[in-house]
Amino acid sequence: MSSKCRGRGMAASWYGIARTATIDRAGAWAEIDDGGTAKIVTGVTEIGEGILTVLAQIAAEELGVRPEDVTIGDNDTARSPEAAHAGATRQTYMIGNSVALACRDARVRLDSEIADHWGVDAGSLKAFNGEIWAEKTNLKMTMEEAVDICKKRGVVPVGSGSFTAHGTGLDPEDGSGSPWQAYVYGCQVAEVEVDTVTGEVQVLGIWAAHDVGRAINPRGVEGQIEGGVVQGLGQALMEDYKLEDGHTTTHGFAKYILPTSLDVPQINSILIEDPDPLSPLGAKGIGEPSLVPTAPAIMNAIYDAIGVRITSLPATPEKILAGLVAKRERQGTRRHAAE
Amino acid sequence: MPTLDMEVTVNGRDVKRRATTQMRLLDFLRNELNLTGTKEGCGAGECGTCSVFVDGKLVKSCLMPAAKANGAEIETVEGLAKRGELTYLQRAFHKTGASQCGYCIPGMVMAATGALRENPHAGFDEIKERLGGNICRCTGYSKIFEAVELARDAMNGSLPTTALEGPGAGDSFIGNNVRRLDAPSKVTGALKYAGDMVMPGMLHMQVLRSPVAYALIKSIDISEAEAMPGVECVITADDVPGEDGFGVFVHDQPIMARGRVRYVGEAVAAVAAEDVETAMAALGKIKVEYENLPAVFDPEVAMAPGAPVLHDYAPGNIVKHIPIRKGDVEEGFAEADLVVEEDYGTQAVEHAYLEPEAGLAYVDPDGVVTVVSPSQNITHHRHMLAKIIDQPINKVRFIMSPVGGGFGGKEDMIYQGMLALAAMKSGQPVRLVFTREESIVSTAKRHPARITYKMGLKNDGRITAVEFRMVADGGAYGLSTEGVMRKAAILSCGPYDIANVKIDTYGVYTNNTPSGAFRTFGAMQAQFATESHLDICAGKLGLDPFEIRRINMMRSGALTHTKQKLGSVSLGLALDAAEKASNWESGPADVRGSSRSDLGKAGNREPCTLGSRIRASDGAGGKKDVA
Amino acid sequence: MLNCDQYLMPETLEEALAQWAGAPEGSRLLAGGTDILPWAREGRAGHVHLPVIIDISRVKELRGYDVADGRVRLGANVVFQQFLTDDELRHHLPCMPHCSIWFADDQIREQATLAGNIVNASPAADGVPPVFAMNGTVEIARLEGGSIVRRSVSSRDFITGPGRTILEAGEIVTAVTCDSMAGYGGAFEKVGQRRSLVISVVCAVCLVKLSADDKTFADVRLSLGGISPVPVRLDAAEASLKGQPVSRESVLAAVKTAGDLVRSRTRREYRGEVVRGFIERAIEDALADYGVALSPPEMKEAALANT
Repeated sequence: MSSKCRGRGMAASWYGIARTATIDRAGAWAEIDDGGTAKIVTGVTEIGEGILTVLAQIAAEELGVRPEDVTIGDNDTARSPEAAHAGATRQTYMIGNSVALACRDARVRLDSEIADHWGVDAGSLKAFNGEIWAEKTNLKMTMEEAVDICKKRGVVPVGSGSFTAHGTGLDPEDGSGSPWQAYVYGCQVAEVEVDTVTGEVQVLGIWAAHDVGRAINPRGVEGQIEGGVVQGLGQALMEDYKLEDGHTTTHGFAKYILPTSLDVPQINSILIEDPDPLSPLGAKGIGEPSLVPTAPAIMNAIYDAIGVRITSLPATPEKILAGLVAKRERQGTRRHAAE
Repeated sequence: MPTLDMEVTVNGRDVKRRATTQMRLLDFLRNELNLTGTKEGCGAGECGTCSVFVDGKLVKSCLMPAAKANGAEIETVEGLAKRGELTYLQRAFHKTGASQCGYCIPGMVMAATGALRENPHAGFDEIKERLGGNICRCTGYSKIFEAVELARDAMNGSLPTTALEGPGAGDSFIGNNVRRLDAPSKVTGALKYAGDMVMPGMLHMQVLRSPVAYALIKSIDISEAEAMPGVECVITADDVPGEDGFGVFVHDQPIMARGRVRYVGEAVAAVAAEDVETAMAALGKIKVEYENLPAVFDPEVAMAPGAPVLHDYAPGNIVKHIPIRKGDVEEGFAEADLVVEEDYGTQAVEHAYLEPEAGLAYVDPDGVVTVVSPSQNITHHRHMLAKIIDQPINKVRFIMSPVGGGFGGKEDMIYQGMLALAAMKSGQPVRLVFTREESIVSTAKRHPARITYKMGLKNDGRITAVEFRMVADGGAYGLSTEGVMRKAAILSCGPYDIANVKIDTYGVYTNNTPSGAFRTFGAMQAQFATESHLDICAGKLGLDPFEIRRINMMRSGALTHTKQKLGSVSLGLALDAAEKASNWESGPADVRGSSRSDLGKAGNREPCTLGSRIRASDGAGGKKDVA
Repeated sequence: MLNCDQYLMPETLEEALAQWAGAPEGSRLLAGGTDILPWAREGRAGHVHLPVIIDISRVKELRGYDVADGRVRLGANVVFQQFLTDDELRHHLPCMPHCSIWFADDQIREQATLAGNIVNASPAADGVPPVFAMNGTVEIARLEGGSIVRRSVSSRDFITGPGRTILEAGEIVTAVTCDSMAGYGGAFEKVGQRRSLVISVVCAVCLVKLSADDKTFADVRLSLGGISPVPVRLDAAEASLKGQPVSRESVLAAVKTAGDLVRSRTRREYRGEVVRGFIERAIEDALADYGVALSPPEMKEAALANT
């Protein structure tokens, strides 16, 4: 239909990983447990982003067990080491790396016993998916057997890890400083359709390219991008917490409008892996950065479609239509002036 | 309380129970039958976390009085599969990663089940429409759609059931789409969030909140409320034994208002009683005498001389000012061929996690004050609460319950202190579950910001200088404002190599709902302005949007605005990847929509026009043929 | 939170009327309940304690529908989802599937009744403009001396203002009766802040029937919601289209002054701007539903964009 105009826009972004302008730290404990299973204990985990699974993957990879064999004990200030908070796009970076370090520590204990048992160099041991073997030999056993041997030799294979990210504070006068040791970058393209009768905007496609350092679980990273994009879309087009003299007029979800399944575009994620050189895993983060470029990409696309620049969010149908009216008036004036 | 006798069939079993007339079906299922897989997200039929089948029809159980369901056959998420098993749909949700925080997921699984029961061959558009009443705040819906289509195809036999299985080990678990370990507990509704938890002897808390934006509290009389049968304790600021203050950066917020209220919805007192209704009734008996003070709602006004002062320690109402200076902006503008100025504004945004705040506190037999809540920062909460209740740190224990969405909104210790005080005062476990309205009115928002932007550029597109000023409404308390201002300032001008910048961000106290941490922590507001501004400038210079960014982007080894020397910078990779994936047609940023040839291609979704099922059943012809 | 001293579920109309007539002041009738429960919450009515709630959803006489003499009589318990799923209703009320799909969501449509939507008399009610357009009448019953007395009122007279109707004490709406619009093309347009589960800012309904040769408008029904305290039927525009050739020009001429109808206190400019294009689109979509395409419009926004 002719009253629907399409356009495209893009926006780039950057973001710092973990706490800002300060030293960040996180700790974890690991134990390679009976049956070739594992226990990981750390102070903070899942807020929905999938970190529990990511930590299990990291532990499995480092310990040589399977992710489903990993039990994560977490979330308890009286029972687990400090891992600080669940935010600041720090979970994979801070806690992931501390878990990796804890696991490596536990492996040193296990490997030294198994190497001694086999009479090989501990450096030749490899473990994956429930099995441990000595390279260039035919020595191989299950992790269950390995733990059993280790314990019969009187050693419980436990380890601990603490990971630090070195940020520095900002100078109070000129702001100079090194707030993060790892940065990520991203870029999103938005394609929109603007209904010039109603002022409604539909976002049809988003192409989101984000550097995540290293994707531990690519599907999980996509999930973070998709969620961030839709929150960005909500802020771009509809969400608006309103107050009148301090009293909200948007008490509930009938007035505070959130994106539903009918408002979301196809989201095409492109994962870029530029590994972090300062951490064991090389992974950086994606939780927050995924949201940053969405709203400006959409505003730039709206401008591309109809020539209306929205500088104040959200771009409601009312603002779009008012912008179109103003544009027509300007053009009318200009045409008149040119005559 | 008026009651009625309920006789229903729930998940195939006959159930007889007495209910009260005020129970909704949701309450009956959760409180009487302990079927907590059915969640309450909004209580107003707007979110779908409470979807259940009643006589085969999917309904929102928060909109149905329990009495209305009397005699009906009810199916909840717990009844979809046998214990220990998953339905095709649940397996598909597990496979695709369709659950994140999981709080909307039982309802979403029910809606998806309903969709495929109504139409086992439902197309993509129809699936979207049938999920239209269920909100998810985490996933962006994409993996949910994928799951429903996968389950549909597996159920119809067009895909083998092996398609529902997880990936193998391959040669590494890193870079492997290992299925989420917590998904089975979420898709079945088995996972207990704080509001689902109960303890023997548990009391229920309700909170009295300020009806005014700024006032002195002349007096609080709790005697009548305390005397009510069923009320175990009433707490106010007077019950705080230690240093009363919390906040992520500055500890300026008391557990409950102390002497002054500074925003509508601020906690003033709380009641712990044997049930929610009694606690609520007791709130009505608390008498608070307020003396209104002149309030301020606009941060620019709050910064001006003579404005009402909210906190004595901050006479100018500035929570935090972050300056960044690099080079000389005046020289930079003098050097420019083009100077563009524009103002930008962003709104306050609600986190809208589907799980409203909830918590459970108790004092354990060793005297350890324990708070179970979906807190994003148990470490810091422990530190703060220890000071507030004047206990050694190891006498305070925080347990993070499953978080039904956070996004920064659950970093603030906005209610855990009240729970701890009530547990200490009553000696019993105390639970508080926020209503949606309470969550919206009392918890932090994304900082609304006004940004003044001035950018100088050469005709070839190089940026010579940027002057950036952001004034953000921090609301009544500091919470994360300081950090948000810092991150906004550091990232403000984007990943661009600019010799001369002058950046100022100001977080300001007002009598509005407090602003706090929200996914991107100020970066979104700042970069919205930068990325809009770059396109405006690109348009004026006849440059493609990608081009202007490539001309200016930081490269490996660049100095940031805070003069940090960067290592590897991947921005170029991201620009290339997005441009290539979207098949971007280059050209100047100047309303090319009507002429570009890269629109409507792969990677887009069809515009949503409701009624796919109407069109499907109408066939191709119009009404004329039917009539 | 909604509470009551008594929750009654009568099974016959007589029982319901008797209970309603005897209910203490402040009691409420409830059908789907999808409006009253959200109403009894913070920010709206807050905690509400009612003496009696009479749930009429099990009253036998209010179920189902009949078609006779070119009219469709919809029992008060007919829910919105039926307009989507019931083939006969879709045949006779061709605008209603489109209205329904925009109304709330599948789950609420299973509970919410058209009659309840009318009784609530919200200016933004999606169900009201179609009923106005289909010459709907509202059937009302009350008890008088132990027997049921009924009266019928035009839907346009039934609603007198936002949330206000002519219903009197003891009266219950038992049915809504509309013209059978079989053979018409129907359309429903709505704009809110999103597409699903949202309150209308503006909504429009159109029903069209053409002459045998498809050249001229034989009958057009138009009405608008959201733009004024009570939804409006566009009598003048309808009259002006009848007998006119099916063309963009006829449509534009008929809707020229539609913006003047906007009498809302809020979003007045926006609503004024939207309605003309919106009615044009409703007519166009109803024609498409009928099987006839309207000629493309003269001016494209996209073409304007670069001028």
